Amino acid sequence: MSSKKWLGLFFATVLALGACVAGLNFLVDPFGVFSHKALEWPSYEMTINPRTAKMTYLKEHHDEYDSYLLGCSSTSSFPVDKLNQYLNARFYNLIMYGADLLDVEQQAVYLLEHYEVKHLVVNVYLDNASVYDSLPDPLSYAMPPECTGENAGAFYLKYLFADPRHSVDKLRAMGQDTYLTQSFDVFHESTGAYDKKVRDAEAIGDLERYYEAYPVFANYPEADCRTDESAITGTLESLTRIRDLCQEKGVELLVLTAPLYHEYLNYYDFDDAASFYIRLAQVVPYWDFSYSSVSFEPRYFYDETHFRNSVGDMALARIFGDTSIYVPEDFGTYVTADNAQAHWEALRSLQPPAAQDYTASVPVFMYHHLDQEGNDSTAITPEHFEAQIAALTQAGYTAVLPDALRAYVIQGTPLPEKPIVITFDDGYLSNYEYAWPILKKYGQQATIFAVGATAGNTEHYKDTDYPITPHFSWEQAREMVDSGVISVQSHTFDLHQWPDYESGRARENILPFEDETEAEYRSVLSQDCEKIRNAIQGSTGEEVHVLAYPAGRYCDLSQVTLVENGFDTTFTTEEGGNTLIRGLPQSLLGLHRYTMHQAVSVEQTLAWAAGAENSD
Amino acid sequence: MSFTSLPFLGLVAGAVLLYYLLPKKIQWAVLLAVSMAFYAIGGGKTIGYVFYTALTVYISGLLLGHFHEKKRRAPKEERKAVAAKYKTHRRAVVAFACLANFVLLYVLKYWNFTADLLQPLADQGGVTLPLSELVLPLGVSFFMFQSVGYVIDVYRDKYLPERNFFKLLLFVSFFPQMVQGPISRFDALGPQLLAQRKLDFDDLKYGIQLAMWGYFKKLVIADRAAVLVNTVMGDPWSHGGGVLAFTILLYCIQLYGDFSGGIDITRGTARLFGIDLAENFRRPVFSTSLTDFWRRWHITLGAWMRDYLFYPLSLSKPFSRLGKFTRRHIKGKLGKIIPTSLATFIIYFVIGIWHGANWRYVAFGFWNGAIITASLLLAPRFAAWKAALHIDDKAPLWRLFQMVRTNVLVFFGRYITRAPRLLTAVWMVKQTFRAPQLHQLFDGTLLTLGLTGGDFLLLFLGVAVLLGAEWHQEKRGEIRLALETKPPVVQWLAILVPLVVLFCFGVLRADYISSDFIYKQF
Repeated sequence: MSSKKWLGLFFATVLALGACVAGLNFLVDPFGVFSHKALEWPSYEMTINPRTAKMTYLKEHHDEYDSYLLGCSSTSSFPVDKLNQYLNARFYNLIMYGADLLDVEQQAVYLLEHYEVKHLVVNVYLDNASVYDSLPDPLSYAMPPECTGENAGAFYLKYLFADPRHSVDKLRAMGQDTYLTQSFDVFHESTGAYDKKVRDAEAIGDLERYYEAYPVFANYPEADCRTDESAITGTLESLTRIRDLCQEKGVELLVLTAPLYHEYLNYYDFDDAASFYIRLAQVVPYWDFSYSSVSFEPRYFYDETHFRNSVGDMALARIFGDTSIYVPEDFGTYVTADNAQAHWEALRSLQPPAAQDYTASVPVFMYHHLDQEGNDSTAITPEHFEAQIAALTQAGYTAVLPDALRAYVIQGTPLPEKPIVITFDDGYLSNYEYAWPILKKYGQQATIFAVGATAGNTEHYKDTDYPITPHFSWEQAREMVDSGVISVQSHTFDLHQWPDYESGRARENILPFEDETEAEYRSVLSQDCEKIRNAIQGSTGEEVHVLAYPAGRYCDLSQVTLVENGFDTTFTTEEGGNTLIRGLPQSLLGLHRYTMHQAVSVEQTLAWAAGAENSD
Repeated sequence: MSFTSLPFLGLVAGAVLLYYLLPKKIQWAVLLAVSMAFYAIGGGKTIGYVFYTALTVYISGLLLGHFHEKKRRAPKEERKAVAAKYKTHRRAVVAFACLANFVLLYVLKYWNFTADLLQPLADQGGVTLPLSELVLPLGVSFFMFQSVGYVIDVYRDKYLPERNFFKLLLFVSFFPQMVQGPISRFDALGPQLLAQRKLDFDDLKYGIQLAMWGYFKKLVIADRAAVLVNTVMGDPWSHGGGVLAFTILLYCIQLYGDFSGGIDITRGTARLFGIDLAENFRRPVFSTSLTDFWRRWHITLGAWMRDYLFYPLSLSKPFSRLGKFTRRHIKGKLGKIIPTSLATFIIYFVIGIWHGANWRYVAFGFWNGAIITASLLLAPRFAAWKAALHIDDKAPLWRLFQMVRTNVLVFFGRYITRAPRLLTAVWMVKQTFRAPQLHQLFDGTLLTLGLTGGDFLLLFLGVAVLLGAEWHQEKRGEIRLALETKPPVVQWLAILVPLVVLFCFGVLRADYISSDFIYKQF
């Protein structure tokens, strides 16, 4: 081959390889910049670059929205459904991680000039006082050229010839996508917010366990941050331009400052931080949530700088005067140029709240069957049961129903002095025959978790010939509920099967089969939820929102699916006490219970009720 | 500007286009303009040093030329007298050129080291020695040596001085050789730089092939090996001797890949302009002795030292006096070789510190000087042993033994240059023998040092390809010539496969942030 030919072949090969890379990047479009439908996966693309992918998404969907939420990652926790409800609007959350106010301004200008906008909500975080106009990574943090005015050709070339591993990663992730959130698809495409379905369904209880699960709070990283005058100036100028443009276009602007974890605030000199927030008020009045009693409670946060959705719920409830949910008194202040100085001066001496103001310790007892022998590992004689209840009553304990727990957590409704919860699993007839009268006698209440499929089975397991310990019927359930003593809730309709008695593969507990797809499992569990709800509600009229896990087993997917099906309170069989936290619905999940049976002494019962793990 | 950066490729591509599209008369000016652009993009300050050096050697050359002209114009019978008359002048000019450049080089590269050494003494006098804050400019050791060589050659009447300053400036600053050399000679490079050329497809092809081979050595092999080397050498004390030895082995591979790869890129780039730069490496792994190694490794530096330092030194009056003295007073071979040995020692000492201002390089110079001197001294004894053992000098097994021996010596020399400090190097050698902990080489420890199993496989294959290619070159000649006889498909594969390998395993590397690592705290 002549050298001339060789050179031709060489350059043709280089071009062909370049075309392959560009073609792959264009087709797979991991950053969501090319606005085409092939291999579209907005939540993945938003994860890789929220700035580009969300704008691309809005090009197609902007007529579904009329209001926008802008800011850095903590913006995600101001739930759009609540905003929609309060403002009768259709919000899209444009959170971008690491956003500075220049990013926010560029997006705001684009939105206001191109789309119909009713409301604009802007979240300001303390780091906006130290960072402005930054680009930590040219691919993942780049803003689309239509927002920046940058040369579009150069912008698209950058993504055409980006490292093709980004594309390969996306293709690979497509095969690994699950219903639950994974690190590669953290956004909910239709709301623009982080998809926190797992976080919203994770059980949260006492602090010790929380520190284990989130060690960052036990050992908060050390750092020293400073505000930066040029960053503050940039931030305030951007905000001024946003404010003026909103006025000009007749758009409602709401500015709020996200809650900070108190140790994060400590990174800064208090005066510097306060000065930033005070100057902010000179530009625009804002709802301040940055520093309050909430700042001291790690369980309201899931990492150093991010607060939970329920905290966002509380913030919005405060702004819009919604009194149906709990909001700490000092959470949220409307700050204007007039009161900014005084407000921040008052915050200087803020003290952590007392735990008893917003947490409650509630021990839960788990009974099963009552009989005269009481020799089964879970059975108890009516006499011993009565002795335990009598002792608890005498000691001043009041048994409450799960509704009271929920009211405490969600609405903040106080619990009685020494609250306990008494529960029975499976729905045995003996609960009706022995326990109910005893509880009535002592003025205590209890919850029975009945299995729908075996309700009313007095002789045989379902329609088999296998003998069964008798279960009460739905009529009997209604009697008990009507008395106001008993609440009947779910132990699943039929996910607590006895393998030996089932013809097919038995579901002994709520966990999915290993070979089951997520969709199949979710459908099975959702249908079961509907059946047990219909059965209980149909016969007793009770709202069904509580479930005890058969055998105490559960997983993330079951937890998430149950929450989606309206089960806000769940019980396990794990022994231990419980901490309920106002404003944190997750503290109603995965509640621990003490297993009660004949061998549990009255003293032990009282010790558990008093919060001691063991009477010894 | 790094050879591996996109702007460099862009600059070269632009330069090649201009070079062949513009009138031939100004082709050399294109090279000069591109060279200046190269410095300007890479941080302008180097240009100042380049101009300084060019100016000093330009003036020195003109002066020497002037004296030469006087001699030439003198009547034949007076020439000797004229030459004698200007001898001192001419020497002064060379001394000026050497001082003007080497003093600056000393300040830039060695002053802080010396100041550190002298500070304890200065302390006694209550003096604090000032430290230089000048940044070592890119390639300064290369262009200064090359330029001083030019002056000495003109002094030696090897050729006439260049009268056009800008043409000489191009010789001093020709951009491909600025980073890693080679150190060229004016009589070889000058005419090539100034020649008028028409496009030759062979040049383009060979240039591209050579540069690609260089990129392969640098990006796929050297940069990969560097990851482990840097990890281990960041904290050598927490590793077993086996891991340390393995690291030094990888360092040898890294150094060769990086340096010879860089030279291939340089020579390949120059070739695009039809320019053949001096060879700097000739498969040093096949060296049969340390002397041979230095004839195959960084050839142009060795040659420079030989021509401009070793010969003048050996032939200088003090050395010939020393020779006479030792021959008279020391019997046998020792008496004869002492001057040569001393000169050898000095050369390797200079080569050592040429690499940098550090005790390690001093020790490295001694290591090489001592071994080469010892082998000179012991040569007769070795010859006797070989005769007694009936060893055939040409037997492949013997040659293999020699190669292994040489490479082992080089390998231990690398402990000295790569260790963070000289004493650490000594400790590392001790650790290699005392606490080898060989199990660490097989129990997965190596996989914790920054490279994956895939990287090791690639390194292994890369080195295998490298050695295979070098063996082919050593025994059978140029691979590209052999390739040209192959069917077109094979030739195309020889384009495609290297490009894909370079792209996948060279270009796409550590700076990639997988989606799993992007900041997100959902």
